[in-house]
Amino acid sequence: MGGTLGLKLARVAVVVAVFLLWETLSRTGVVNPRLLPSASDSLAMLGELLQRASVRNDLIVTASEVLTAFVLAVPLGAIIGFMIAENRYFAEVAKPLLFFAFSIPKSIFLPMFILVFGVGFAEKVGYGFFSTIFIVIMSTTAAVESVKVEHLTVARSYGATTAQTAFRVYLPSMLPVLLEALRISMIFNLTGVMLAEMYASRDGFGHQIATWGENFQMKQLLAGVVMISVIAIAFNELIRWIETRCSHWRT
Amino acid sequence: MQPLANITPLKPAGAVEVRNVGQVFTTSTQDVVALDDVSLEVKPGRFVVLVGPSGCGKSTLLMMMAGLRQQTSGAVLINGAPIPKPDPNRVGVVFQEASLFPWLTAEENVEFPLALRGTPKAERRAKAQDALKLVGLDGFGKRHPHELSGGMKQRVSIARGLVQDPPVLLMDEPFAALDEQTRMTMGDELLRIWAATGKTVVFVTHSLTEAVYLADEVVVMSARPGRIVDRLTVSLPRPRTYDMLSGDVFGGLRDRIWRHIRKSA
Repeated sequence: MGGTLGLKLARVAVVVAVFLLWETLSRTGVVNPRLLPSASDSLAMLGELLQRASVRNDLIVTASEVLTAFVLAVPLGAIIGFMIAENRYFAEVAKPLLFFAFSIPKSIFLPMFILVFGVGFAEKVGYGFFSTIFIVIMSTTAAVESVKVEHLTVARSYGATTAQTAFRVYLPSMLPVLLEALRISMIFNLTGVMLAEMYASRDGFGHQIATWGENFQMKQLLAGVVMISVIAIAFNELIRWIETRCSHWRT
Repeated sequence: MQPLANITPLKPAGAVEVRNVGQVFTTSTQDVVALDDVSLEVKPGRFVVLVGPSGCGKSTLLMMMAGLRQQTSGAVLINGAPIPKPDPNRVGVVFQEASLFPWLTAEENVEFPLALRGTPKAERRAKAQDALKLVGLDGFGKRHPHELSGGMKQRVSIARGLVQDPPVLLMDEPFAALDEQTRMTMGDELLRIWAATGKTVVFVTHSLTEAVYLADEVVVMSARPGRIVDRLTVSLPRPRTYDMLSGDVFGGLRDRIWRHIRKSA
């Protein structure tokens, strides 16, 4: 997130303006406060929610599902993506199929996950994994293809071993694209797990949000939205920060 | 490889010999003869330039000398021994543009061949400094490639080719992507470095002017099949200067090469 101090201030101003608008619309009654509780009330509710053991428990459940799905999908997707990119025959066969699979909305498969795994941890992790793996495979393929043939030839001409080529050429070449893949995968992963929790679940933060919505508890719902947004943005920005540190040479 | 070096310690050995080399690419429909019975001898310390139309196999031949590619028939000898795989002790290669690793600094790029062999950090840094100084880039070691001009990047590439002090330096159109002025300057720089180090240089180019300006000997190749059609000794004195470019000797040599290439293309 570059830019001068002026640009940064402008960004902060936009966020503050959104919250002020929210507050004003609710306080003046332009929007029914029962439908849109004020920003200050919602944020106060957020503080209160964080104190509740049940909410913290739901957050832990969701976090463990998200992390499990992520830890399974990223390495496996990366390995498959690498194999596809490195083997021409495999790539020719698999690439269009992957594009097909990627274009299908994953949510239509959710009922099947529930039938196969039942409602619970495995279903949500499975669906999160399923939502994530295609983007990981495709990004890794792109990352391998970003390795320049010239660089591989240079390494070979100076007698690099396979391991040296992997660590000194492939890895640094791929790192920026891989980090980007990690970031985007997490967006897909989080979306998948939240959706599974909202659709059919007994616990987890997505389930909690769905319940608040059904019971018309708007203050809690908005507080939950703010909380998940902040967590998602924080993870995204962390990876972006690492990205800029690792890929300063990419201009 | 060492005995020759012991005889002339200041001028390391660097004989390149190509004996009846043939290269056939087999495609699904036909066999393509890329090189047909090519023989060439480069004596230690000489500067030889390969020219020819696109597809004449000059780069292929250079890659064989580097051990990056194997011929279908015949033999390629560096210091009298075959080169079945790359051997950075005998041969340094300088590639076209964009061959530097953009994530490494200039000095780390130069150190790369040494790092592969596990040379200690201090020794490798010192050698990289020397090589960068030799190519006129003293003080630019901490910069990344994107912070360097095209000419400077190629200087770094040359330093990387020289850092292990191989007797033979192979250059595959190293200045092709540079503008004309930088190209001429780099030519002079290369000749200065060559004179200072006494390396054997085999240089591939498309530019006839560059070929005649740099070379002791120009080897002209024809396309499909790739063959040697002429060999010209450039008797112009050294150091070469710009006013030689407009002289009769220079023009005569360039015309002779051009006639071969036009016939072949």
